[in-house]
This record gives sequence, C-alpha cells and structure tokens, in this order.
Amino acid sequence: MTDVEIRNEPKDSDWVRITSTDGFSYLVRRKVANVSGTMRNMLDTTSNYAEAVTKTCPAVNRHSRGIIAEKLVEYMCFKAHYETVGPKEDIPVSDYMERVPPEIVLELLLAADYQEM
Amino acid sequence: MATASRRGKPKIKPPKKHGPDFSIDRTWSELSKNIREIQNHNAQNLSFEENHRFAYNMVLNRQGEMLYKGVNTLVAENLDKLAEEQMVPVFPAGGINDPMQQSQEGELLLKALRGVWDDHISNMVKLGQILKYMDRVYTKSANVPEIQVKGLELFLKHIIRPPIKDHLVTAILNQVRLERDGFVINRSAVKGCVDVFLSLHVDNSGVTVYKRDLEPAFLRESEGFYKAEGEKLLSSCDAPEFLRRVEARFDSEDSRTHHYLASQTSAPIERILKDNLLSPHISTVIAFPNSGFDVMVDTNKMEDLFRLYTLVIKVATGLSCLKRALKASVARRGKEINDISLGAGTADQDVEEDAQSSKQKGKPKARAPNAGAQPATKWVQDVLDLKDRFDLIWKKAFRSDREVETALNEAFESFINTNDKAPEFISLFIDDHLKRGLKGKTDTEVDMVLDKTITVFRFLTEKDVFERYYKGHLAKRLLLGRSVSDDAERGMLAKLKVECGYQFTQKLEGMFHDMKLSADTMDAYRTHLAKTTAPDIDLSVIVMTSTFWPMSHSASPCTFPVELGKTCKSFEQFYLSRHSGRRLTWQPSLGNADVRVRFKSRTHDLNVSTFALVILLLFEDLDESEFLSYSEIKDATSIDDNELKRHLQSLSCAKFKVLKKHPPSRDVDTDDAFSFNQDFSAPMQKIKISTISSKVESNEERKETRDRIDEERRHQMEACIVRIMKDRKHMTHNNLINEVTRQLAPRFQPEPLAIKKRIEGLIEREYLERCEDRKSYNYLA
Repeated sequence: MTDVEIRNEPKDSDWVRITSTDGFSYLVRRKVANVSGTMRNMLDTTSNYAEAVTKTCPAVNRHSRGIIAEKLVEYMCFKAHYETVGPKEDIPVSDYMERVPPEIVLELLLAADYQEM
Repeated sequence: MATASRRGKPKIKPPKKHGPDFSIDRTWSELSKNIREIQNHNAQNLSFEENHRFAYNMVLNRQGEMLYKGVNTLVAENLDKLAEEQMVPVFPAGGINDPMQQSQEGELLLKALRGVWDDHISNMVKLGQILKYMDRVYTKSANVPEIQVKGLELFLKHIIRPPIKDHLVTAILNQVRLERDGFVINRSAVKGCVDVFLSLHVDNSGVTVYKRDLEPAFLRESEGFYKAEGEKLLSSCDAPEFLRRVEARFDSEDSRTHHYLASQTSAPIERILKDNLLSPHISTVIAFPNSGFDVMVDTNKMEDLFRLYTLVIKVATGLSCLKRALKASVARRGKEINDISLGAGTADQDVEEDAQSSKQKGKPKARAPNAGAQPATKWVQDVLDLKDRFDLIWKKAFRSDREVETALNEAFESFINTNDKAPEFISLFIDDHLKRGLKGKTDTEVDMVLDKTITVFRFLTEKDVFERYYKGHLAKRLLLGRSVSDDAERGMLAKLKVECGYQFTQKLEGMFHDMKLSADTMDAYRTHLAKTTAPDIDLSVIVMTSTFWPMSHSASPCTFPVELGKTCKSFEQFYLSRHSGRRLTWQPSLGNADVRVRFKSRTHDLNVSTFALVILLLFEDLDESEFLSYSEIKDATSIDDNELKRHLQSLSCAKFKVLKKHPPSRDVDTDDAFSFNQDFSAPMQKIKISTISSKVESNEERKETRDRIDEERRHQMEACIVRIMKDRKHMTHNNLINEVTRQLAPRFQPEPLAIKKRIEGLIEREYLERCEDRKSYNYLA
C-alpha cells in the first residue's frame, strides 16, 4: 500500500529503508523520511552514523509494532505530499484522521514524540 | 484497509511501559562510551538510533541533568586533550628572526587551531543530533543553553585561554606585520583562525572574541606601525610617490579587512590610516617644493592629482588644505599673467619662478602707447587658458567637486579683479573676436570662445566699467560695419543679458534698434531723393539716439567742404520733416567715405574716415609741388589736434602713403608739412586706409573713462538710495548702506564712504532728512 503511494512521489533522490521492530520494512524517498527530525539526523551523511551508511532507519522505538510504523510512514508521506501544495488546494486532514484507529493513538503519539514530528 | 477489521473493538490500548530492564548507570556508561567513540571519529560504526534512544530514555527517566553534565564533562575532557595534543606542540619557539620561518610557525599554529575547531564543531553537531531529545525537553525547562551553544562556551573556556589565546593573537599580528612588510603569507590560515574568533561570543551582548582580544591588539599594532610609516614616507618620498604609497596602504588595509579580518575593523583601521598617514602630513606633502601640488599642476599630472584628491577628501582638514594650495597656485599664475600684461617687470615683481622668465620673452617691451589690442587679447587668452587648464584638472582630477569649484572661482575672481584693466581687456577681447571672427574661425568656434569669455566676465566685480567699454567697442563695430555678423553680436548680447539682466543690455539693444531704424530711414530717404534732385554725393546716415550711444556727448568739430555740407543739409531737411522737434548733430569722427582718387599711374578707390576725406579734399585743387603745413590743415578743417594727428599719420605714415610728409618720420608733428603723393601705386583697385583701431587706452583716456564711470556710479548710488528710501520711508544708516551695497553688487562694489557722501548730498537737496538719533534717515516726499 505505502509503496504504491510513494512511487507517485515525483521526488528523485535515493531510497531509504524504514524498519519496524517486528520485521516490517518500508522503502521511502529520503524526502519523506526527512519529515521526521530524528530520522533526518539519523540519515545525515555529514555525521555519518551507521544508519546513514546503510540508509536504513530502525524506524521506531524498540517497542513499536508494525502498525505504528505503518501509520507513521503514512503520515510522513501525507505531510511530504501536501507540504508543497498551493494554498487553494484542499488538504484532506479529516480523511486522514479517520484512518487512524483510536486504539493506537496513544502509542502513535509517543512514537511521534520520539520521532520529532 | 486494516481499519475495517478493527472497528468491532474500539478500545484504546495503553502504550507499553518502558522496559523494566532500564538501568541509568548502564545506559550512561554505554552512552558515554559511544560519545568517546564519536569524538574519535568512529560514528559510522555506531547506531544513531541506539544512542538517541539512550538519551531519550535518560531524559524520560528524569536523568536529564546527569546526562547534560556528563556530556559537558566529556566534551571538556576531549577539548583539553585536543589542546594538549594539537595546540601545545606547535607553540612558536620564539627567538627566531627569519621572517619566513616566523611566518611558517604562525601558519602552523593557526592551522592547528582551525583543525581543533573543525573537529570540535563536527563532534558537537553529531552529539547535538543524538541528544536532540534532551535539547527539546530538558534544556529548555532546566534553563541551560542547548548543547551546541554549550559546546561553543566550552571551546572558549578550554581552548581560547592563556597561553593559547595569546599565542594565537601574536601569531595573527605577526602574519599581518609580515604582509605589511611585503612578504607573502597564507591568508586562508589567518582567515580560518579569525573566523573562529568571530563566531565565538564572549557574552550574551554579542561581543566576539575577535572584538575583545584581537581587534584592539591589531589596532594598537597598526597605529604604531603607521605612525612610523608616515614619518618614513615623508622623509624618503616625493609627493607623488608618497601619495601612491599611502593609497596602496589604504587599498591593502581595506583588502585585508575584507579578506581575512572582519569588515567591522575596516572603519577603525581606516581612521588609523587617516590619523597617522594623512592628517599630519598632507599639508606638508601638498607644499613639497619640488613635487607638491604646484608642480603636479605644472606638469599636468592628472593621475597624481586625482590620487591627491581622493586621499584628501578622506580627512576633514584635507580639502581645505587642498583648496588653500589651489588658491595659492591660481593666485601665483594669475599674478604672472597680470604682470606680463602690465609689463610691470620693474621694481616690486619678485622673480620667483623660472617659468616666468621664459614667458616674459613674449612680453611687449615697456608699455608702448600704440600697442593696440594685443596685450588685452593676450591677457584674456592667458586667463582663459589658465581657466581651461584648471577646469580640466577640476573635472578630471577633482571629480567636479563643488567646494573646489568655489575655491577656484574665488581665486580667479581675486586675481582678475586685481587687474584694473580687466573690464577693458575683456571687452577688447570680445571686440577682437567679433571683428576678426571671419579670419579662419568658424561661427561655432567664435561662439565657444565667447562663451568662455563670459565665464571670465562673471568674475568681474566692476561690471559697469565693462559695460562702458563694451558699449564703446560695440558702437565702433556697428558704425564701421566691422562685426562678423548680426547673429554673433546678438548672441553675445543675449549672453550678457543672461548674466546681468535686462537693465544691463538695454542700451546695447537700443543701439541695435537705431541701426535698424536708420536702415529704414535711409530707404525712405532714397525714395525721396529719387523724386527730387539728388545732391552729388551719396550719403548714408545712421541716426543714433544720444542716450544709447556712448560717444554722442562730445561732437568733435569739423568744417565740411561745401559739397559735403550740401549733402548733409539735404538729409537734415528730410529727416526733420519726418520727425519734428528733434536735433541732429553730425559726428564726423565716426563716419567713413569711399573716394576715387587719380594718381599718376592709375585711379584707386580709397575707403577713408570722414576726417581723412576732409583732409584729402584740401589737396584736390593743389598742384603736385604744393605743400600744406600742419597748421594750414588745422585751420581749414578745425579738427582737434589729437584726431588730426591720427588721421594724418594714417594717410602719410602707414602702409598706404597717399600723402607725403615733410620731413618723413613715424610720428606727426605740428611743424610738419604735407603734399599729395602722385606716385602712389598699389596692386589693388580698392584700398582701405584704416585709422588705428581700438587699442588699450592711454593713461589720460583711462582717467577720463574712470571719471565718467565714477560720475555714473554717483548717479546710480543716489538713484538706488532714493528708490530704497521711497519704499521704506525710514531706515537706519547701517541698514541703508547694506541694502545699497546689496542692490548694486551685480554692477560694482560701492564703497560705504561713497554711499555716505551720496546720502549727505541727498540730505542737502532735501530728499532725505536725518532723524533725531543721528543714526537713521527719513524719506521726504
């Protein structure tokens, strides 16, 4: 699902991998990953930590599950996409809100805090 | 996709607790180990996520303070280590005198600092990234600086400290000194270090280390250096070289501040340069006897002058200094020109300049009374040349500076007005050009010369004197038909009008008007003659309104021969029949005549003045061998001695000798006798026998003109006083004097004493009365 969305991104740049603790992994453009401050620092090539070398972000806090990681990546794509649209275009924020299942919101909040976004 | 299946159980799960396995000590020891690894440039082997999580967990577990302090300690330790390993070994050994070696040592030290700085900054960036969560959550609430800022503070404390700091400052100053002495240094090394200084703030007010430690030392050093440099240059260089060097110093200091120091320093260092190189020495340099300002002007050194100007305007006292020099230079040159023209190479003229002696060759010997207009035109031409020269310098070298222009004008004004004859000379010069214009010069060229002349005219204070002379010269041109063209004359008039206003040219325009009216009258007269019997002699008359024309007041006596008298009567009758109540006075001194004379070989058409014609007619009926003595001629014609001598001279002593003089000599004497020269021959049919043309006035003439001008001024002053008093009714003495002076200034500079005399005269004639307080006057209607 996310793959399809992301391929629509016209952004060139390289691909980076985001992994969750339970084995899911997501391939996204670097631009998308940069939505998260933590990931941006992680992938920063000037500091060149191990993650930047392998272009792989262990996306979330160790205890996060795939579902959280997926929602994070979905939001990152959402934000990266709508960040650049003109002021006239409608941003379907409420649609996105509906897609967040209430039972994970707290967990998602913690993860988002950790990811600085 | 996935949401649909979950909709059945809408229950919010609590997030998982942080693992019970969290141990602060273990986390910190891991993290601190990793931080050390980062400082050892091994970041690529470390997991960002892991370290970020360590920091995150510590902050989450309220251990932010411990984390913050721990990191600080680690950074400080690392800095101390770097200082020990990288900085201390490259401290200069001292005691080395070879500049190249000194330079290399300094460079090494500066580069080491830059290395440490770069290392530290890159470490701090990396630490900042993994400690981001701490910065976001802990530092703000704990009110401590973010870790990056703290990094700079630590650097300041552990690296920029004695003795490292002192060594650095000394090294930079040494590099600057070496470069000033002409050695090549590695600018980028210095710049690297200066940049570090610039980015370190000593406190919150924004004062940088550069400002605190480096700049004052640099300025102190520079001041000392340039003080010595100024003295050195002054004693070892001539003026152009001095200026070149100083300019180079300005340029190099400017480029220095921009290339490897801070631009904030450029203002203070420029001030130091000004205070030490320019202000104290500039006047000495301008006055350098063999290479100073005067010599630059002499040799037309535009570049040097331009350089002088650009330097001089940098300092407050400079421009006035330059202006003084300029004035002195103009005054000296002006005096030379005046002296040459006056031929006053006698007593008081100090032979100061060798340039002058060379110029004096062209000087007419003594003051020949018949020198013609030559000295006048030469004087004006010299003045114009001088003006051109300084204008060029002003334009090219002084960027058309207004202040300089004022000084220039003042200088010209003062020297031009020291020459009493300036108004006459200028008028003669214009006369010469309007007369001789046809010879080789085009209209536009003449126009240009006249335009320039106007600029000189502008400097005259005694414009009324000029007007008087100009009127005389114009009248002669008009009457003798000598002007190049009406257009040129009117153009000149228009120029004068622009300069001095309508009043000034009113009478001059009246003269033109008379000329036109006369032409019409002559047409009418000729048609009138066609109807009646015409006299034998063709007559052309110009009727001049006596107030417009300068010469009409003294009709010179002359007895006309009968034929001429008849012709005159004929016109008189015609004219008076058209205009009743007018009086015509004949002015033979201004007329001329065409006469055909038969000599032995052939006939010639002579163009002579009226007086000359009257003289020639005396010889008409005489035999070849008969003589007329001077006194006989005088009795027959009753012409003035002065005029008679002049005309006899032009008939018998000039180029065309129509009369023979006995005995022959250059000048006419009252004992001489004259006879008709039958043997006269000339290649041309038409011959113009000109009387001696306009020339510089003799002393008596000058005195007379002067008297007339004084009289005119008296009238003007009186008129002016009455005009003012009529308007004000009551005025104090001083105010009146000031007002009169102000109103008359465009024409001449009235003396207060003279005005006072006029006031007294007016009181006597009861135009004014003196008030009780003896200080003011009332107007009596």
